[in-house]
Amino acid sequence: MKKGMIVDDALVMRMRLKEILSTRYNIVAEAENGAQAVTNYKKFQPDFVTMDITMAEMNGMEALENLLNEFPDAKIIMVSAVGQKQQVFEALSKGAKDFIVKPFEPDRVLLAVGRLFE
Amino acid sequence: MRAEHANPFITAAVSTFAKELNINLKRDELKVKESPVPTKSVSIIIGVTGHVKGQVVYSMDENVAYAVTKAMLPGKLPAELKKLMSSAVSELANIITGQASIILAGEKYKIDITPPAVFIGAELSIDFLSIQTICLTFLSEIGAFEVNVALTEE
Repeated sequence: MKKGMIVDDALVMRMRLKEILSTRYNIVAEAENGAQAVTNYKKFQPDFVTMDITMAEMNGMEALENLLNEFPDAKIIMVSAVGQKQQVFEALSKGAKDFIVKPFEPDRVLLAVGRLFE
Repeated sequence: MRAEHANPFITAAVSTFAKELNINLKRDELKVKESPVPTKSVSIIIGVTGHVKGQVVYSMDENVAYAVTKAMLPGKLPAELKKLMSSAVSELANIITGQASIILAGEKYKIDITPPAVFIGAELSIDFLSIQTICLTFLSEIGAFEVNVALTEE
């Protein structure tokens, strides 16, 4: 079973994503900011990451860059409410595999993660 | 403060309540104030920077915040819901602001929002911006919801 990490500053959103993703994947780590995400990625080596953007300490866009600098094969999907055209473009051009705008349907999340391993 | 900066928050609040909570939110009043000081006991403050900047302050009574949490996390026990209330209302505010920012930014601009700051029950000793504010109030089956939009264009 593929291993996942959920990064979001809101506990309710981490709970919801975990509930959706646990049906098919092993969620091995969570993080509530970008800095914690980088630390936990190194520790747990997940196969994929869902990454919020608006977070204190280190935001999701910075964490995306940091992780991809060190782990170019990291599979990171952005999950954010701030899905402006420019942000989506920026995230995808930095190497994010997909961009899910909140609020989302559970199927949209499962579809995006499923595509990573096709 | 221009009315067109407030309109996206109406669209975003109504659609977020419908999609996230399955609750029908109805427009009530629109008032103009001198600052975004909230009027209810649970408040969530989000800063906005970029093409438009300022503050958006969401406000609701505690029983409404509890009902929002319950709608967001069906099946959880009351004690757990109380612990999760702050996280649930901050995420609701984050999603509404994010959705409104998509409309405000359009094709050309970028708008950043800060992580939400939540205040429950306490007296607010915060310096709110002195910006003309549009206060939008909404009604729903779980109670009233207020959005104070204090934004100026760069």
